[in-house]
Amino acid sequence: MRLIGVLAALVAVLPLIGVVAAALSGATADIAATDLTRYALTSVALAGIVAAVTGVLGSIAAWLVVMHRFPGRGAFEWALALPFAMPAFAVAYAYADLFDVAGELNSWLRAAAGVALPFQMRSLWGAGFILGFAFFPYVYLAMRAAFTNLPVHALEAARSLGASPRRAFLSVALPMARPALAAGVALAVMETLADYGAVQFLSVQTLTTGVVRAWFVYGSLASAAQFALPLLGAAALLLWIERAGRRRRAYGSPGAKWRPLPVTALTGSKAWLAFAYCLLLLTLGLLLPAGWLAWSSIDVQPDWPRLISAARNTVTLGVGGAVVTVALATALALAARSLPLTARVASIGYATPGAVMAIGLLLPAAWIWSVVPGGSANVVAGLALLLYAYAARLMAAALEPVDAGLSRVTPSMIHAARGLGASEGAAAWRVQLPIAAPALFTAAIVVLVDVLKELPATLILRPFNFDTLAVIADNYARDERLANAGWPSLILVALALPPVIWLSRKAAHARPGSE
Amino acid sequence: MTLRRTLMACMAALALPLAACGDQSDAAKKDGASGERVLNLYTARHYDGDLQVYAAFEKATGIRVNRIEGNPDQLIARMQAEGAASPADVFITADAGALWRAQDAGLLQPITSEVLTSAIPAALREPEGHFFGTSRRARVVAYDSTKVRPEEVDTYEELASPRFRGKLCVRSSDSVYNLSLVGALLEAWGPEKTKAWVEGVVANMARPPEGGDRDQIRAVGAGVCEVAITNSYYFIRMDRSTDPADVALTDKVKLGFPSLNGQGAHVNVSGGGVARNAPHRAEAIAFLEFLASPEAQVLNSEQNNEFPAAVGVQAPAGVREFESFTANPMNVSVYGRRQAEAQSIMSAAGWR
Repeated sequence: MRLIGVLAALVAVLPLIGVVAAALSGATADIAATDLTRYALTSVALAGIVAAVTGVLGSIAAWLVVMHRFPGRGAFEWALALPFAMPAFAVAYAYADLFDVAGELNSWLRAAAGVALPFQMRSLWGAGFILGFAFFPYVYLAMRAAFTNLPVHALEAARSLGASPRRAFLSVALPMARPALAAGVALAVMETLADYGAVQFLSVQTLTTGVVRAWFVYGSLASAAQFALPLLGAAALLLWIERAGRRRRAYGSPGAKWRPLPVTALTGSKAWLAFAYCLLLLTLGLLLPAGWLAWSSIDVQPDWPRLISAARNTVTLGVGGAVVTVALATALALAARSLPLTARVASIGYATPGAVMAIGLLLPAAWIWSVVPGGSANVVAGLALLLYAYAARLMAAALEPVDAGLSRVTPSMIHAARGLGASEGAAAWRVQLPIAAPALFTAAIVVLVDVLKELPATLILRPFNFDTLAVIADNYARDERLANAGWPSLILVALALPPVIWLSRKAAHARPGSE
Repeated sequence: MTLRRTLMACMAALALPLAACGDQSDAAKKDGASGERVLNLYTARHYDGDLQVYAAFEKATGIRVNRIEGNPDQLIARMQAEGAASPADVFITADAGALWRAQDAGLLQPITSEVLTSAIPAALREPEGHFFGTSRRARVVAYDSTKVRPEEVDTYEELASPRFRGKLCVRSSDSVYNLSLVGALLEAWGPEKTKAWVEGVVANMARPPEGGDRDQIRAVGAGVCEVAITNSYYFIRMDRSTDPADVALTDKVKLGFPSLNGQGAHVNVSGGGVARNAPHRAEAIAFLEFLASPEAQVLNSEQNNEFPAAVGVQAPAGVREFESFTANPMNVSVYGRRQAEAQSIMSAAGWR
């Protein structure tokens, strides 16, 4: 069992070893230190803005939905997670176009009122806003789970000691949910660092810009990899925060009885404010960007055969990636019971920027291409390599739910199985896995949605004549044909919506002791 | 039991489409058995019109085209990782600088082809035959014709002059087209004058660089700036568009062709070379020769609004109207060599 776990971890870590190996080799690029400092500061600033935006938006939304009753609450409870289905690059296309200084909206405003909007999406703040709205569901889901599981007696104690609802939120609920907040924000920031496409499209120059410049303009893989090292460090730090957040998640009092949460019914203007707030999040995160993409692509005749074939490829990769990643994550999680560090190291790929991961993935890819017949023209090897790349990138996303599922199996259950003569493997297969099965399925759905939106690994590793929807959208966007990029993006959203809805609805009904 | 059933279902769901796409593209790995001739194309061009060119090639020669599209840098990195086992036959990209990067990385082989040397002018191909330009695009100026007279933008120097202080739009120095332009200036002017020009351009910027070339043209239309540096085909695409917004835009915004040292506008190429380890070398040469044929030249120009590169081929109507400019005779293979230096100068001047 340990051996399998170590192997699974090795699989995930190989690209990172590739990056480090590259950093130690060859000539360095002539990139000014001032430029690098600027890129690094921009990365930090962007991460900070996204952390703040997602933290505030997601926490308030979760608090409203869990602890209050207002019009539309039942729908918002799951619908607020839907922006997950929208790839960040598609949100970026839509907003950059919508608010472009020469775009339709501003042109119309100038003609009608003689003014233009005073802000620009292609800026640090614009990128922070866009990624914040793309990633707030991470915080929302984490906080929703945390609030749902609040021990009622703590809140009642606060209220009976005279705390206002707001005070109870700020000084009891929020501190108790702090680990979940840290975990959710860490995920959002990791996605921000890993982003490929959106930030560059918005002309914001982060460390990724430095990596790309060093690699290609100056032809120095070594420098590129060296700039990537701080990003890997940041990734490791965020993972540590996220794991630590989860470890301390249980503030609980194990003996306390589970009772329904004291839900406040909002009335009048308060109710409508809550409604408007949730609607605003949903609108800015999903409806407006998706709607604008749809509106801009209306006149474009889509190339259906190509899109359908790409959609089929996308779904195939999604399902395949989900199965492979969850299988590896499960092996890792089982082994991690005795080797906790392996799991943490194997998760770093999740926060590694796409451009950096591409450097690292080429190392194992080169080995595979050199041994299979036909090299990279071998379709089966090519697809296997892609599935492998997804596992390396998305291990952390699968590991979290898998780990949570397996932790429902108490040591005494395993001891019982072993005592009845089952081997370690048989105990895992017949006891641990069946109990964790729903969690494994959840993990598979999470990975599926992420693979549907995946871009950098797919771009660089895919076999001949093989396009995914994200690849087609990216091609059009780089050719500055945004209207054409709308169709593949929207089909992608349509494919990702059902699994996201399923995930969100399932998680919404997860209060222990309730039905 | 549920778990096992779920796993089985997943496996089945995975196996079916995998098998299906295996069938489709099996020929990509084995081409000898059926006797079918194939060509493996790594292309950084990603225009829909290119698919029509491939189809025409397949029809004309019976050689089937397999393709991988990506950005040039990723394709270069991939070819490097593939090494001697690389299936790539032809590497295509839309910038001479990127072609040079591939050549510099040792990924291209020199070829001799009577057809190519007679069709493609010497300035548009690498002297040793590592790569050939098959279509031309000029990096020129879109200007607001209500505020700027054509003779105010007929040299590149003028773009950096105080006349356009705060009135110029241009995209970031990450754009390989800008790197190639400044590379050409370095070749023509040397580092001193180029540095001064870059600083002048940065001082003239109406806003920090953002967006693509099309966005710069639209910014001129919206009055954000008076002049913008752009590739010719983006403007021509708008000029040929029937979209009312584009029609109104090109009524006001015009395309100007500044001259470099009195010898004409900076011209870049889209083109390709034969990969170092091409398993289908003959097919690769046939493909490049096809790209230089009048049929492919006109098809490409019609689809992408680039100018034909081959001698004696006229652009189709709509593009032809812009074709009469003087093209600078500088050899396109020099841009790439200067790109790192260009990047350093641009970054130092604050061209982000």
